[in-house]
Amino acid sequence: MNWARYGEEGIRIVFGNAVSADVHEKVRRYYFFLKSLRLQEIIDIIPSFTTCIIYFNDQLTDFDTLTAHLQERERELPETDVPAPAAHTIPVMYGGQYGPDMEFVCSYAGLAPDEIIEIHAGTVYTVFAVGFMPGFPYMGALDKRLFVPRLETPRLKVNEGSVGIAQFQTGIYSFESPGGWRIIGKTDRRLFDHRQEPYSLMKIGDQVRFVPV
Amino acid sequence: MIEVVNPAWLSMVVDSGRYGYADIGVPPSPALDRYSYTALCRLLGYAAGMPALEVMGHDFSLKASIDVSCAITGAWVTAFVEGVPVAPWRVFRVKAGSTIRVKEVTEGLRYYIGFSGIIDAAKVAGSYTTNLECRFGGYSGRPFLKGDRIALKDVRDAGERAIAGSLIPSMKAPHILRIIDGEEERYFSAEALKSLFEKDGDPWYKVTTKTNRTGIRLEGKPLEFKKGTEQSIISEGILPGVVQVPGGGQPIIVLYERTIGGYARIGHVIRADRDLLAHLKPLDMVRFQRVTRGEAEGLWNEKAEQYYNMLP
Repeated sequence: MNWARYGEEGIRIVFGNAVSADVHEKVRRYYFFLKSLRLQEIIDIIPSFTTCIIYFNDQLTDFDTLTAHLQERERELPETDVPAPAAHTIPVMYGGQYGPDMEFVCSYAGLAPDEIIEIHAGTVYTVFAVGFMPGFPYMGALDKRLFVPRLETPRLKVNEGSVGIAQFQTGIYSFESPGGWRIIGKTDRRLFDHRQEPYSLMKIGDQVRFVPV
Repeated sequence: MIEVVNPAWLSMVVDSGRYGYADIGVPPSPALDRYSYTALCRLLGYAAGMPALEVMGHDFSLKASIDVSCAITGAWVTAFVEGVPVAPWRVFRVKAGSTIRVKEVTEGLRYYIGFSGIIDAAKVAGSYTTNLECRFGGYSGRPFLKGDRIALKDVRDAGERAIAGSLIPSMKAPHILRIIDGEEERYFSAEALKSLFEKDGDPWYKVTTKTNRTGIRLEGKPLEFKKGTEQSIISEGILPGVVQVPGGGQPIIVLYERTIGGYARIGHVIRADRDLLAHLKPLDMVRFQRVTRGEAEGLWNEKAEQYYNMLP
């Protein structure tokens, strides 16, 4: 673990330099450990592929104090109970009007739509991070045959529920927004509901399988 | 009851921000100029956290159906109650049936309006602020439209407070934004870094029209990456004020609506300058200046002193 300042009110903890299941498991464990400490000084935690960002309240602490405190408590980490990942099955309508980039993905990958669907729905994905927008799961790892670059010019409007792929990842747009991932399908499962907790269907570490409908 | 007669370009309910849920991607969406928002709360006798209006554009007008006290902070404006000028950064009384009108914005972009009563807004995940993209919080999760009615609870007399003129910030363009170390600074060519941080001359960046609560897109001399350097990073958590540079080399200053980013970070706008970001508008000229962490801390202490001095 490498600790660094992040802006003026942040700590950046780096667990590794490349995306891997091992590194991510460390991030996930540490995130749940941090949460379990319920420290008033910590306003927000953002765990993702290789890092955990801590946004702290500088009226209550500073980088050196908080870092020292957390490093001292690290020995509690092995005994911390980490919630088991939940398993989700997400129904997806692939291609056609639901997947405007299916044609591009087929030609880029040199595969037929059925093969793309079979490969995409044939893997159980790990939620590496939830964010950029509420409830959006960054999932991986995608089968190498489906690696595609992002759109050169992002779309101004991607529909809510759109299932996209980009490089080694797949994700689901939890809200309508601009976006640069290649869209191959759409789900009608709601990923974020502000009216009831837990607001987000998915959390870091969850396991996700897509089912074509 | 307060009726929205003209919602101007964009007006909405904000507060000090929605925190504690960044791990599931919920951004803070706060009042972008925290200093002006805090001043507004103080003027009206509330703790920070009360809902207030954040407005962009001229000709914003409201009609009050009750006697209420009101205040305006933020961007420099000319404002009137029933045609009589009222001073911003100072509490003024509004009689039932009168119209409050902000006619012009002369400096800055966003201004804040509050009342001596609590705006009845939707509280979501601990905050009243509006998340425009996801349509929750605030007034039905959306900006105000003509004819909307804002209910006020616990209306009382706010007294006659004012913020001293010396504590009212300037928002005049061109803007100097001071930044501290970015995580991917070493991705950029020596020439790019040199020209970005040169004390005097170019480059100035222009604020583009692709600017909103999510981020400020700038346009100027492209910042060149070192040859053979990756131009994107593994996506990870970002905090407000981070300056990201996509492959094209035009910087984006991230505001308060995203929790994860994947572009190279050349710096972080220092806290002391972050409220100013609320007032950068298309065509304004901006330049960056590199400061040390020590300098950033000193500048923040000065600003914190201003916060302290606003206390009644």
